Amino acid sequence: MKSYIFSFLIIVICNVHTFAMSDEEQGLKIAKDAYDSTRGYVDSTSEQIMILIDPKGNEVIREISGKNFENMDPNDGDKSLIFFNKPKDVEGTVMLSHTHVNDDDDQWLYLPALGRVKRISSSNKSGAFMGSEISFEDFSGLDYRKYDWKYLGEENYENEICYKLESYPKYKNSGYTKRIGLTDQLLRARKIEYYDRKGDLLKTIYFEDHKLYNESIWFADTFKVVNHQNDNITIYKWKNRLLNTGLDEKDFEKSSLNRLTD
Amino acid sequence: MIKISAKSIYLSLIVYLILKSSPIHASDYKAYGFIQPETSIFFNGKGRHGQKNTNLSIFGKGTFISYLQNDAAKFSINILGRYDDNDRELRYLDFQKLKYEYFLDDLEFKIGNDIIFWGVNETFNIVDIINQSNLAEELAGTKKLGQTMASLSYSHDYGKFDIYLMSNFQERSFSGKNGRPRLAMEIDKNTVTYESSAKDKKVDFAIRYSTVLDDLDIGLSHFYGNNRTPELKPNSSTLKFDPFYPILSQTGLDIQSTKGSWLYKLESISAKNGNERHLSAAGGIEYTFYGIQNTQSDLGIIIEYIFDDRNNSPLNNDGVIGLRWNKNDIKSTTFLAGLLIDLHGNSNRLQAEFEQRIADDLKLFVDFSLNGNINRGDFTYQFIEDSKMTLKIAKYF
Repeated sequence: MKSYIFSFLIIVICNVHTFAMSDEEQGLKIAKDAYDSTRGYVDSTSEQIMILIDPKGNEVIREISGKNFENMDPNDGDKSLIFFNKPKDVEGTVMLSHTHVNDDDDQWLYLPALGRVKRISSSNKSGAFMGSEISFEDFSGLDYRKYDWKYLGEENYENEICYKLESYPKYKNSGYTKRIGLTDQLLRARKIEYYDRKGDLLKTIYFEDHKLYNESIWFADTFKVVNHQNDNITIYKWKNRLLNTGLDEKDFEKSSLNRLTD
Repeated sequence: MIKISAKSIYLSLIVYLILKSSPIHASDYKAYGFIQPETSIFFNGKGRHGQKNTNLSIFGKGTFISYLQNDAAKFSINILGRYDDNDRELRYLDFQKLKYEYFLDDLEFKIGNDIIFWGVNETFNIVDIINQSNLAEELAGTKKLGQTMASLSYSHDYGKFDIYLMSNFQERSFSGKNGRPRLAMEIDKNTVTYESSAKDKKVDFAIRYSTVLDDLDIGLSHFYGNNRTPELKPNSSTLKFDPFYPILSQTGLDIQSTKGSWLYKLESISAKNGNERHLSAAGGIEYTFYGIQNTQSDLGIIIEYIFDDRNNSPLNNDGVIGLRWNKNDIKSTTFLAGLLIDLHGNSNRLQAEFEQRIADDLKLFVDFSLNGNINRGDFTYQFIEDSKMTLKIAKYF
């Protein structure tokens, strides 16, 4: 009888333990579900416009177009091509990236002035992208594999109940020490606050203009980035985003860059 | 390269009319370019050949790309030209690219003019051989002339193979009588000789294999044809140099390893030039400090060294130490400086370039070329009075 009760207790304790996940487990689960809901795009093409606004209200425009190819390998990152269009002095420049989850990416840059493809260091994932407040690291900011997670509870945001998640980058060259974000009930990121290497609040990205693509995947078509340290703002907009367009993975190789450049 | 003349103007007009009349929709092509007035000032007064201490020049470049046949083919034009106030040799148009390419799965076919760059180094690009250097533009030889070719490429998981057949050999262009810097004597274009009996009609041949293995980018190449570098023989009766182009057979290897913020580079050639065989190797490292002093600025350090077993080569035991500062600001401000040191005789020269966008479609460049200590026996001693600053403003279209 004694041993019977003991076994019962063990079962109860184990079950309680399973149901009540730790904050870390729950954070990871929400982040993983959110990330998984953006997968299956296969490939995508888009045009992107950045408006860089300084504290005095001066604006400059950047224009690029992009192609992405989804990597089905659960331990590796996607491939991307960025075609620079504006400012005009960088027109014709193309950047190819093979991203990796917690390692440096492989990146090649085609420089039209030299007619040369250069393999470049990608340790600067946290650097300013085209002088904006967004960094290359932020484009894969929803990839749960790049962070350790912690669930902080629920919070109301624009009259919706959101999950509040704290995350810590695993990548050693990350520009951040911590992020605090809100994810809504449809698992869409709504805003993320970024803390710099010293632990100070650096910037907030607001994810806006959510659109349901191919009746299955939500993407935010606007990132509004507010830098709290220098008061610059970047509005990053996606236009003409198309998924599953039938791109060939071979287009995302160094050996094919000449097909895409002058 | 075409000297600016009635013929070249007609040719440009014909290309323009073809483009204008071809049934291409606005969305199917891209066209862009820039025009760039430049002014130079020399710090040591007049040159040793009486050249002026100031210069005005206008430089421009136009690019046109169109995809045809449902994106299976591409037609591109890349034309550049200059009109220089002082130097007649710098009044030219060059079709860097004027090519038609056809893509079929793993195969690529190309015909026309193109610029093909091989190599990994920042300064000593010894493997790069396809295109002729335009030394009138720049002594370092990084400015090239378009090369006419037919090529076939095949890519596979294990790498890419390119085969080139080249025709329409271009003579190296040198500064003219009033150019600065210039060689001690002019180049006599009427006395050009070749080792090959086919002379400039010789069809040159090249093959290259390139691949990426994780952090390694590797290229292996071979070239057989007219050497791009002529031997300059002083002619005592004309007091000019007679250029002689030997046949070159050159095998090259280039490797770059990219490990985080470190780049490791090596280029090496074994070449038979006429009857003489020589070896050369050049390589170095590049390291970048990202986000220095909690700013968005990056600072890169470049160190490269070149060895050549020919004692008479101007670059046989030379090094370069370079700094590249990237402010990563809205104006894309960058500063690049390189100190070239001849380790044999301790001569040195400083090259610096500053650039900054000053409006959406305007960019400012300030270049310095400064001679330091130069030994009397050094090849560059003849340019010792040619330290200069050049100011350029590019207007983009």
